[in-house]
Amino acid sequence: MNLTFPHQETWLHRVNPAHKLIVSALLFLVVLLTHNPNVMITLTIAALLPLLFFSGHPPLRLLLYASPFLLLFVSSATGMMMFGTGETLWFQYGFIRITEESFYRGLHLGFRSLQVAAVGLTFALTTRPVALFYSLMQQLRLPPRYAYSFLAAFNMLPLLAEEFVTLRQALQIRGRRPRGIRGWYERLRMYAIPLLAQCIRRAHRTAAAMEAKRFSSGSGQRTYFYQYSLSAADAWYAIYILLSSLLAWQLGQLWSLIPVSDVR
Amino acid sequence: MSTAPTSIRPGGNSKGLTLTDILVTIVISVVFGLIYKIWGPMYDVLKPFGTHAEQLSYGMWFMAGTFAFLIIRKPGVAILAEISAAAIEAFLGGSWGISTLWYGLFQGLGAELFFAMFLYRKAGPLVAILASIGSAVASIFIDRHYGYIDQLAFWNYALFISMRVLGSIIIAGLFAWALARALERTGVLNLLRPASAKDYDALEG
Repeated sequence: MNLTFPHQETWLHRVNPAHKLIVSALLFLVVLLTHNPNVMITLTIAALLPLLFFSGHPPLRLLLYASPFLLLFVSSATGMMMFGTGETLWFQYGFIRITEESFYRGLHLGFRSLQVAAVGLTFALTTRPVALFYSLMQQLRLPPRYAYSFLAAFNMLPLLAEEFVTLRQALQIRGRRPRGIRGWYERLRMYAIPLLAQCIRRAHRTAAAMEAKRFSSGSGQRTYFYQYSLSAADAWYAIYILLSSLLAWQLGQLWSLIPVSDVR
Repeated sequence: MSTAPTSIRPGGNSKGLTLTDILVTIVISVVFGLIYKIWGPMYDVLKPFGTHAEQLSYGMWFMAGTFAFLIIRKPGVAILAEISAAAIEAFLGGSWGISTLWYGLFQGLGAELFFAMFLYRKAGPLVAILASIGSAVASIFIDRHYGYIDQLAFWNYALFISMRVLGSIIIAGLFAWALARALERTGVLNLLRPASAKDYDALEG
C-alpha cells in the first residue's frame, strides 16, 4: 500500500516485517483478554501514538487514511449500547434499551475496534509487501512456493484492472445494461466470470513458466536478492508493545476514568 | 515432445498442492482480498442501526475459502485461501487490521472441516452450504470473545446469529457454488484437473 505514495522512512519501517506481524497478531490476543474499559482506553492510546508520530506519512494523508475510524468507533459501539443486556436502565424507547452496563460495554467495543484499526493501519503503512514475504521466507521458513505466489499475484492486479476496463467497454459497445435485481445479478455474472476465468488462466500460465525455469525443483538453498534479519529496531518495537501493555494494565487498575472494571 | 502430457503438471501427485494449485488459489484470494477490503466500509455503514441487516452481508468474508475449494478441490485449499484473502485485506489497511488473520485462520478451518468430512470428494451445493456454516460458526466463536455478542438482549442475539448464518449460506454457500459451476462451464477449470485416461487416448488417436 505504501509503495504508491512517497513517505519518510522511520524506525518502524526498519522493524523486521515478520517480527512486526507476529507481535501485532499477539497484541490482538491481549486485546481479547482485556475486559476493563480503562485498560482498553490506554491500550488504544498506545496503539495510536506510533501511528501518529512514526508512520512517516504527512498528517493530512494520515487523516484521510484514518477517516473511517470515527465511523468504525460508532458502528462498533451503538449496537451494543442500544441492545445489550444490563440492570441499571438509563433510557428506553421501543426496542432500544440503554443501560449503564451496555453503555460502557459499547464504549469498550468502540475502543477495541479503534485499537485494532490503529495497529492494522500502522502495519500497512510501514510495511512493504515484498519485504514481508522475503522476511517470512527468511525468518519463518515460509516455503518459497507460497511467498512467490503472493508476489506474482500482486503483479497481476494491474492486468486485472486493465481487463476490467476492457470488459466494461466491450459490454458498453454492445449496449448490455440489464436493470433491476435480476439485472444486477446478471451484470455481476457478466463481469465476475470472465475476470475469474482469465485470472485462473493467467495463474496457470505463470506457474507453468515458473516451473519451466525450475522454480520448485526445491533442492538446495535459495539465495535472496533482499536479505532481512533482526535488528535493534525489533527489540525497540517489542519493548514498546510489552511496556505499553503492562503500563495500560497497571494504570487501568489504579486510575479509573470509567466506573466499571469489567464489562462482561 | 513425446512426453508432453506429464510436463503439464510437474510434481504430478494429485494429493499435495502443486505450484499451479497454490498460485491459482492465491490469485483468487488476492481478488477476494480486494473485495473484502471494499466490503468493510459498507458493512460499517449498515451496522450502527443494530438490527443486524449488515450480518446478511457477512457471508462475503467466507467466500474465498469455499469458492477456492470448489475450484481446486484439494486438502488445505480452503484454509490457504481464507488466510491469504485475510492477509491481503490487512495489507490494504482493512478496518480490522491484523485481527483479520485470526478470523481468516478460524473461518478457513471451519470450512475445511466440512470438506474433510466428505474426504474432499464432494463439491456440490450441500457441501458448500455446510462449509459456509462452518465458517460462520468459527467467526461467531471469535466474536463471542471480541464483541461480547452473547451479552446482547436475547432477541437481538438470536437475530444476529440467524442473519449471519443465513447470509453465509446465501453468499459463501450457494453463490460461491453457482459461480464455480459457471466457471466450470467455461472449460477453464480443465487446466487444473489432472489429465484423465481419455486425454491420453485423444493423443494416441
